Amino acid sequence: MADVMTHKDPFFTPRRRRQLVSVLLAALSAIWVYPLVWMIFASFKPNSELFSNPGMIPDAPTVENYVRAWREANISTYFFNTLFVTVGSVVITSIASALMGYVLGRRPVPGRFAIMGLMVFTLFIPQGYTIIPVFELLTKLGLGQSLWGLMLATCGHSIVVFTLLFAGYFTQMPKELEEACRMDGVGPVKTFVYVMLPLAKPIIVTVVVMQSLQAWNDFLLPLVITLANPAMRTLSVGIYSFKGENFVDWGGMTAASTIAIVPIILLFLFLQRYFIDGLAGAVKG
Amino acid sequence: MSSVTLKSVTKSYGQTEVIRGVDIEIEKGEFCVFVGPSGCGKSTLLRMIAGLEDITSGDVAIGGRRVNELDPAQRGTAMVFQSYALYPHMTVERNMGFGLLMNGEPKAKVKAKVDEAARILQIEQLLDRKPRQLSGGQRQRVAIGRAIVRDPAVFLFDEPLSNLDAELRVATRLELAKLHSQLDGATMIYVTHDQVEAMTLADKIVVLRGGYVEQVGAPLDLYNNPANLFVAGFIGSPRMNLIAVKDGKLPDGTALPAAAAGAGHIGLRPDALAPDAGGILSGVITVVERLGDADFVYFRTPWGQELTTRFAPGTAGGAGDAIRLGVTGKMHVFDSNGQAIPA
Ligand SMILES: Nc1ncnc2c1ncn2[C@@H]1O[C@H](COP(=O)(O)OP(=O)(O)O)[C@@H](O)[C@H]1O
Ligand SMILES: [Mg+2]
Repeated sequence: MADVMTHKDPFFTPRRRRQLVSVLLAALSAIWVYPLVWMIFASFKPNSELFSNPGMIPDAPTVENYVRAWREANISTYFFNTLFVTVGSVVITSIASALMGYVLGRRPVPGRFAIMGLMVFTLFIPQGYTIIPVFELLTKLGLGQSLWGLMLATCGHSIVVFTLLFAGYFTQMPKELEEACRMDGVGPVKTFVYVMLPLAKPIIVTVVVMQSLQAWNDFLLPLVITLANPAMRTLSVGIYSFKGENFVDWGGMTAASTIAIVPIILLFLFLQRYFIDGLAGAVKG
Repeated sequence: MSSVTLKSVTKSYGQTEVIRGVDIEIEKGEFCVFVGPSGCGKSTLLRMIAGLEDITSGDVAIGGRRVNELDPAQRGTAMVFQSYALYPHMTVERNMGFGLLMNGEPKAKVKAKVDEAARILQIEQLLDRKPRQLSGGQRQRVAIGRAIVRDPAVFLFDEPLSNLDAELRVATRLELAKLHSQLDGATMIYVTHDQVEAMTLADKIVVLRGGYVEQVGAPLDLYNNPANLFVAGFIGSPRMNLIAVKDGKLPDGTALPAAAAGAGHIGLRPDALAPDAGGILSGVITVVERLGDADFVYFRTPWGQELTTRFAPGTAGGAGDAIRLGVTGKMHVFDSNGQAIPA
């Protein structure tokens, strides 16, 4: 590379180099998304065609997979279960992590570093160890058999990371902003709501996107919690149940999977600009 | 407008005492400037008046009322921060009206107040902008506007000009002086490390060093009668020439007038010296600064000290010339503890 930079190679003009890189990246992306795109196309093939036609484009496109999945396989129920768990956990985690992050980042909390250290420590415990105690806890609270319980447990996945993100962001805000509020007689709650929170918008978007992804795609936790109660299943668990004892409904499964990923792709497309700002902002401030 | 009184005020952070017993009396409507080198406690003192720092001991009274235990918002003060501390996500209009709105003032009334402040500061056309769309000087005005809107008894400024470039600083300094009279002589307390700002703006200057008040007085008082060596060296530009003397003699043995008997130092302002073949000071010119309206001449004395004097424009020689100067103005005399001995 250094050689290319230093002596004048007429082939590698900056423009050519950019084009070359673009082509390479495009090829890489194509490989990356191919399975996804294949699955979406496959969801429009009847079961009989799925294995006879390995190409992408269906010979006889049909929506019967979708109808079957939505009506007979209960995907509609699973969809709204997932939506409930996702929206609820996003609301709770965003509010809770913003509040905790504000306190840890900006208030003189005794033992603040010990608290943060403990929180970071929990990141290293694999989910396999915590899932049984979490289930126990929910059962003791009488939430072991309800979507509310699943929603609460789902909040726990990344709330530590989100809290630290908020804390880091709030730490670097100039203290004069709060002092200006104090001079103006604006109380701490209003200061948080009207000044601090709006300024943390990039972090809020990051948290919303990451928590949505996680809650929507979560598998192990809903699997364990809904084991005894199929009506509470979420999409990821429900899709898995297309794998019957003797027969796998691949067509229904691809249709259900497509139903499952479309909302999350839409959300990401809608928020990606803020999302990337947020991640960049968390680093450079 | 209100008077502000500080009585034996101290402030400690843990074991470190930052303010060590300060008494200051600021009259109604006065423009009072706290000046001193960086780290001497000016901001701390101002923030104690504002209520942003606790008072370790002593009393702060505003308008005759002790305010030690009052919240910042209840003291009737408004502060303009060095960094302006504008709310970045709000328009100029909302920035100025935010405090009032949050305290339940009717919208129409807030709007009227904001418009009035914007008119005084000539920022009416900026009301819809966000702070990031403003220049440094405009942000400064908005920050002042936010203070005006609160209609405070006392304005507090913490180095409000230090983020502006030199030219804008001079212009804004004038604006501030005008503003003071425009606001019917509101009480203003202004912190700066720049003695020129202090001299030009103040009705009363408080010189601080290391948490103590060194001297309080009108600008010309401090200039003409500095109470000690520190104030003598701090106030005035170029600096006063301070020469250590012994037994009434200069370091090179030249005898001084009788007034200097028993002095530890004498102080001579640059414009108190003039060429004089029989003068007491001699030296070799090292640098000449020609400013057009005056020549400032830096010269080295036989005992190796660099001193300054002022010549009429175009009359100074060049570097390397020998000069001899006599005292034509006031000679300040300080005892061995650095305290001024009255003439
Ligand atoms: N929160 C604090 N904790 C400890 N020391 C402080 C704190 N704030 C200021 N100081 C110290 O108090 C002294 C005065 O600070 P300050 O009032 O900001 O000075 P100035 O504004 O005159 O430059 C400085 O020596 C500074 O180090
Ligand atoms: Mg300061």
